[in-house]
Amino acid sequence: MTATATRSANIALFSLWALFWVATTIVALQEASRNEYIRWWEPLLWEGSSALLGTLWLLLQRRIGLNYAQYLDRPRLWFLHHLKWLPLFAPVFVVSIYGIRNVVYGLVGRVYHHDSWTFIWVYETVKLLLFLSLWLGVIFGFDSFAQWRSQRERLLNVQKALAESQLQQLQSQLRPHFLFNALNTISSLMHVDLARADRLLARLGDLLRLSLQVTRRDLTSLREELRMLELYAQIMQERFVDRVSVSWDIAADTADAAVPALLLQPLLENAFRHGVERSASAAAISIASRREDGQLVLTIVNTGTLDSAQQGNGIGLRNCRERLRVHYGADASLELREDGGQVIARVRLPYREYTP
Amino acid sequence: MIRALIVDDEAPARDKLRRALGEHRDITIVGEAGNGLQAAEAIETLRPDVVWLDIQMPGLTGLEVAAQLEPQDAPLIVFVTAFDEHAVAAFDLNAVDYLLKPYDDERLLRSLTRVRERQGTAARSPAIRIARHQTGVSDRLLVPQGERLQLIDSVAIHWLEADDNYVHVHTAAQHYLLRRTLQDLLAQLGEQRFVRIHKSAAVNVAEIQSLTPLFKGDYELQLRSGHSLRLSRRYRDPLFARMGR
Repeated sequence: MTATATRSANIALFSLWALFWVATTIVALQEASRNEYIRWWEPLLWEGSSALLGTLWLLLQRRIGLNYAQYLDRPRLWFLHHLKWLPLFAPVFVVSIYGIRNVVYGLVGRVYHHDSWTFIWVYETVKLLLFLSLWLGVIFGFDSFAQWRSQRERLLNVQKALAESQLQQLQSQLRPHFLFNALNTISSLMHVDLARADRLLARLGDLLRLSLQVTRRDLTSLREELRMLELYAQIMQERFVDRVSVSWDIAADTADAAVPALLLQPLLENAFRHGVERSASAAAISIASRREDGQLVLTIVNTGTLDSAQQGNGIGLRNCRERLRVHYGADASLELREDGGQVIARVRLPYREYTP
Repeated sequence: MIRALIVDDEAPARDKLRRALGEHRDITIVGEAGNGLQAAEAIETLRPDVVWLDIQMPGLTGLEVAAQLEPQDAPLIVFVTAFDEHAVAAFDLNAVDYLLKPYDDERLLRSLTRVRERQGTAARSPAIRIARHQTGVSDRLLVPQGERLQLIDSVAIHWLEADDNYVHVHTAAQHYLLRRTLQDLLAQLGEQRFVRIHKSAAVNVAEIQSLTPLFKGDYELQLRSGHSLRLSRRYRDPLFARMGR
């Protein structure tokens, strides 16, 4: 359990504890007020002594009993480990409260009348067992809840770390296949158009450099993200010269928006892979961004149909969704659908300005 | 003279091969293809001696194109790929020729030397066997349709009938003639779906309607389409085993 979760569980538990003893004392006082033989301070002493020993037990439980937190997912073991102390605690408890009461009665010059010791031993032990069981139930509830909360917190952290490592994986996915084909295109262009080959080589260099920088931060500006997409698209266009046209429609007021780095990269790769590489006819891809009701809307459209492989099960898409969820929870979405011979991938996320 | 076909879906990649191969006097480039189906058609009509065949292509991949060829009279194949770990591992193991992109003249020359060595000899390249192994059983079959080739689903095939060096492929409405051996076609389509019933015939197991005993252990086999065929005694037991009888 984390420290904060334990602390908030403790505060709630001790508040409930105090409330319980105030209530029992008030009840005892009320009962005593109807009995003329009982003085006003007597119920205070009886309840007070029990409360004192009970609180000592609770403090011990919070100290030592926390070792038993490991058994929280096995309730029976957890209760057994606590109750095994009863044979030791019960005599201490009975001797202590009766001792305190006898001393106080003696100090005011009176005698504490009570039942026979045999009866008291049995009666107090049974009462204590019931009382402790009840409170152990309450404590169990609090601790389980605190543990659940801290586990969830940890899970979220793990997921975040996972998303970051996925980002690295994504980056390494600026895939060998892409790289080798791009190199082959350059190797071909070299013989006919040295300047163009040179330009393509420089772009490939830029793309690699940018993708190496990007892992150092998880968020980037849309401007930067689009620059990568543009480089990628330019290289792909050189490879598929006659087969694809790419168009951009970027609203000027979206350039400074913060977006998870490389979020759109797998979507554009998908558009090329499914819309261009697997299609023998000419294809078109368009990339657009706009603001809409405080949201940033990013759209990548490719001609073609949504085949089962693209149906949102690919690693790239899953990755995108996961990263959106980690960053924005339920406030962001990624939808993929087919409409009139086009496959539309649309990301919506809260618009925030990017601050480096 | 070696007649070569170049297949790649990326124009710059085709340019590169054409230019590099063009420098060799014993090579004639007879054609180029930009996707798998075009490649299969070009192989069928141009009958090249050798094909430089890219693997990653729309429609049919290079491996799928190779898997559809009849090993006996297929051209030599040099696979070209940018990155395909599994296939390349298999090529290495089985001495299949391949080129990794990007390549230089020296490496192209090496593949060309192998082609020249194999050219004209009876030693066939294991390329087609390995391609079939890589792609698994074909769910689709390339069949001639007039001047063109087209892909049909293998489930749509009712039965196959051997006829010298040809196989008749019967579907519900159509009938195609392939220059293949029945044995090789069955190897490509897989034993799961098709079973021999006769020295020169095989059926799609799912299309069998009923069996009626005839004289001497032969059976009359009725297809769902109503067509009836003869099941020879020799092939009876394997078929029954296949049908769980």
